[in-house]
Amino acid sequence: MGTYLYAITAAGHPLRLSGLDGVGDPAAQLRTVRTKDLCAVVSDAPPELRAKRRDVAAHQGVQECLLADGAALPMRFGLVGADDAQVAAVLEQDRDSYLRRLAEVDGCREYHLKVARDEDDLLREIMRESAEVRRLNDRTRRNPGAYDDRMALGELISQEVQARQERDRSDIVARLAPAAVRAADAEATKSHFLSVSFLVEREKAAAFSEAVHEEAGQRGDTYTFSLHGPLPPYSFV
Amino acid sequence: MTAIQQSNAATSGSGSGNLYDVLELILDRGLVIDAFVRVSLVGIEILKIDVRVVVASVDTYLRFAEACNRLDLESGRKAPNQLTDLVGEATESGAKGKSKGALTGAVEAFSESLQKGQEDSAEEEERPARKSSATSSRRTARRRED
Repeated sequence: MGTYLYAITAAGHPLRLSGLDGVGDPAAQLRTVRTKDLCAVVSDAPPELRAKRRDVAAHQGVQECLLADGAALPMRFGLVGADDAQVAAVLEQDRDSYLRRLAEVDGCREYHLKVARDEDDLLREIMRESAEVRRLNDRTRRNPGAYDDRMALGELISQEVQARQERDRSDIVARLAPAAVRAADAEATKSHFLSVSFLVEREKAAAFSEAVHEEAGQRGDTYTFSLHGPLPPYSFV
Repeated sequence: MTAIQQSNAATSGSGSGNLYDVLELILDRGLVIDAFVRVSLVGIEILKIDVRVVVASVDTYLRFAEACNRLDLESGRKAPNQLTDLVGEATESGAKGKSKGALTGAVEAFSESLQKGQEDSAEEEERPARKSSATSSRRTARRRED
């Protein structure tokens, strides 16, 4: 069985849990495990839990509601303790560090920014600026069998792509960082060269969003900015 | 025109588009306590690996070379409006789009199984099935480029 853990809050959190569903089917009933200073929101762990839409949504829903009323440390999906007693023991044992982190993220939310750039546009830029790329491109176009040249072309472009993406990434993060408390860089994905989380104070959310829009405006139409938030501070706990 | 989209997840609703967008955060970040067991989440570790950039592989080189060969230099910056179309769809299906590369298949397959919601048994899909659907979309992507 086990105890599924959603979030840790301070003991003073209002913990309005009625009407909220836990993970599993049928949805598990939420309850709390309390110590003197802390509180964990938990439920029974359903057998064979998987990352299904319903369960991930339930996990996220609990975080959202808790955060509406105060600070909470969001757990990663799928974290299960042996039983309530073990959860209480962990809360006692790491009490100070949890309290410290609760104070750090209090009043802050996470904003996640992804940026992609149109690949053809990037390739054209590389082609314009590198005579060697143009030479290899001409040659491989005329002679599709030239395997070594194709590899050399691909390698050269690959290096150029990485260097340019790296430069864009640090430029964008540097310009947005002042509007946030902290930034947590995540690895790029195949479709987005930038994927960064920012911890932003609630009162400064509008200013942060404004800064992102401004940056997007300056980058022009071959860049796609996707901003998601406010979210639980998953990347800052 | 600049493409930007923003979602506000603050209030109650967690729509599927929104859920897809925060999926990697929920599965990949958040507090982890050493003493606790992570439930065996089939496919999660695979997902994490698949969305990472594959650096400097032969595959990548050849794909870039092909893309470069195909590039119409003349049409240059004259056709920026395809991009806005893409953006409109981005919330629903972050993985679609011709230039997004081969590895997005796994993410797409995964999000589809999430978006299917409660109704059917497809969400019970085992990892091998998910894996093979990712592979097939990878192949399709490559064929399209040929």
